[in-house]
Amino acid sequence: MSHLAYAAAAEFDRLLGDPRDTGRLFSHARSLALDEREEFPLEICRELDLLGLPAHYVPVAHGGALRNFGDTLQIVRTIARRDLTVAIAHGKTFLGAASVWVGGDPRQARELGAEVARGTAVSWGLTEREHGSDLLAGDVSAERTAGGYRVSGEKWLINNATRGDLVCVLARTAPEGGSRGFSVLLIDKRRLDPTSFRTLPAARLHGIRGADISGVAFSDAAVDHSALIGAEGDGLEIVLKSLQLTRTLCAGLSLGAADQALDMATAYALARHNHGKPLIELPQSRRLLARSYADLLTAEALTLFASRALHALPGELSITSAVTKYLVPTLVDQALARLSRLVGTRSLLRGDTFEHGRFQKVLRDHRIVGIFDGSSVINLNSLINQFPLIARAHRRGPADEAGLRTASTFTEALPDLDPAALELLPRRSSGLLHAVPAAARELRSLADAGAVPHSLAAHAAEFAEVLEEVTERIGRHKPTPVAAPAHAFKLAEDYARCFAAAAALQLWLRNRSAVDAEATHGLWESGLWLECCLVTLVGRLRPVRTEHLVAEGGRDPEEAVDRLVEPLVAQHTSGQLPSLLPYSRLGTPA
Amino acid sequence: MTTSAPESTAQVVSSEEIRDMLLNLVASYLEQPVTDIRSDVKLLDYGLDSIFALTLCGDVEDEYGIEVKSTLAWDYPTIDAITGFLHEALSERV
Repeated sequence: MSHLAYAAAAEFDRLLGDPRDTGRLFSHARSLALDEREEFPLEICRELDLLGLPAHYVPVAHGGALRNFGDTLQIVRTIARRDLTVAIAHGKTFLGAASVWVGGDPRQARELGAEVARGTAVSWGLTEREHGSDLLAGDVSAERTAGGYRVSGEKWLINNATRGDLVCVLARTAPEGGSRGFSVLLIDKRRLDPTSFRTLPAARLHGIRGADISGVAFSDAAVDHSALIGAEGDGLEIVLKSLQLTRTLCAGLSLGAADQALDMATAYALARHNHGKPLIELPQSRRLLARSYADLLTAEALTLFASRALHALPGELSITSAVTKYLVPTLVDQALARLSRLVGTRSLLRGDTFEHGRFQKVLRDHRIVGIFDGSSVINLNSLINQFPLIARAHRRGPADEAGLRTASTFTEALPDLDPAALELLPRRSSGLLHAVPAAARELRSLADAGAVPHSLAAHAAEFAEVLEEVTERIGRHKPTPVAAPAHAFKLAEDYARCFAAAAALQLWLRNRSAVDAEATHGLWESGLWLECCLVTLVGRLRPVRTEHLVAEGGRDPEEAVDRLVEPLVAQHTSGQLPSLLPYSRLGTPA
Repeated sequence: MTTSAPESTAQVVSSEEIRDMLLNLVASYLEQPVTDIRSDVKLLDYGLDSIFALTLCGDVEDEYGIEVKSTLAWDYPTIDAITGFLHEALSERV
């Protein structure tokens, strides 16, 4: 049984079959064997094509199956839960195609939609050897000719640059460059003169070893004018807007990584005995599991909000996507580090001794998620650049309360994805942060009525205070046009944590009566998961030294978080994955 | 699109006023004396990078109460160019 929000993903999972069954094509055993051989998961990707995954990368408007971005994201999470290499190798096609959904004309979008649905891999050529993420420094050039463009130069460390028949390339169309000096070209390698390009060997990797992270070098490659996406000079704008979609999608990769690691660690803590006791009964093991689960729940709540906000509040996606791409991989990295302390030596074992070596693989594989498609530093820098607009929107007050309600409420119908509504900067405030004081008051009334513990209301009130400080600091921030100062990065991290806490507040308040309390094993009733998210987020925003607090007779604030072990174990033993919403593990009776 | 931006009463704003406002704005971003800023030099050449240039639109909107595209400074890369665009937009409003 799965919650409606995860129904499409669960159906996909079912079609792929139990990954522990070595007879299945997409089994853990095969994934690990491929990784050992650094081999591309070709057959698994073909199976995903046959099962119709590519259609989920194509908006319904262009003939595909993508109606609700959250469905696609949760399917990607399901694949990542089995094998990040596969999710990254296959999901790359969405990244490659996104520029066409954002900037292409209807004919281009429909043609690409048909290609993608047929299983054609699309790659996205942004970075170059010498320039990394500095897109405006790119040297790949497209010179105008009578029939189109002549493309020269090299794109490097590009996912599927070799395997992808289509490559969406950001190229310099004005020699002097600048914000309007670049354009997006969708290049069909099958139609190029074979002597006018060559692919570069795949890099050898620490994680996702089987992935095709390679490059492509063009030398006077002639492409037709119809390859141009949008107008000449629109390249940077199209790419920045596309990144808002792809950065949101990346959260699915991180969640899938956390899902599998927490599931393995929980099984281990239940089965393993130390000093005559199962690990799960030792306070430090419980703390490690509970903190990891709190991080996963925070990441999951933020992702659920962000994927709905992509439809309901598209004009603010420059903020939402940067917060998500920074915070979700960061939280999951943190959880993975904690869980590997719990699992100990086994977290490093290759081979069949422990979970086919999946734990060491997920540790390695996830390292890249916080780096590609805009690293944490890039996303924090993007938030810093938006501080003046954030402050201004905050002063103006909430403008789209209906959009906020839609983004937060699972049962509300979402408007269709509208790439034309994306903005490079937030033009107004959705009121997510404005809504915090009222949410804290709502929790106070619920506590007075006995529906939630007073501790939850107190944590919400404390968060409202912290938020006021953070907003005030953002208002005082003096924008610096060149290189943002190091302290501003801390402020951006704080802002991201506030955003996540505010999203968690809305999600719990707007869905608490609709979510099946029994099926979620106590996570929702009395606001347990929300309290744990608030405790851990506020703990980072306003750190206290627990040992000092306890020595002075106070309570350990993380004790609240330890309560997560109970629902974690209950979910595990009833055949569910650790999650905010019910999701059954395959191969176990529901 | 509606915003709650301060409604400035529609009146003719001269090019000189707009140019002065922008010169002061850019000087304050760069923390340089306004006399060091030239209106015919590309903002990019002053080290105002492409993303930072986007934030200019917020200040322009606050000042004149009109909504402009966030890519204003990309399409009009110098103070003179932005001045020309804004002067026309503000005159049309009157």
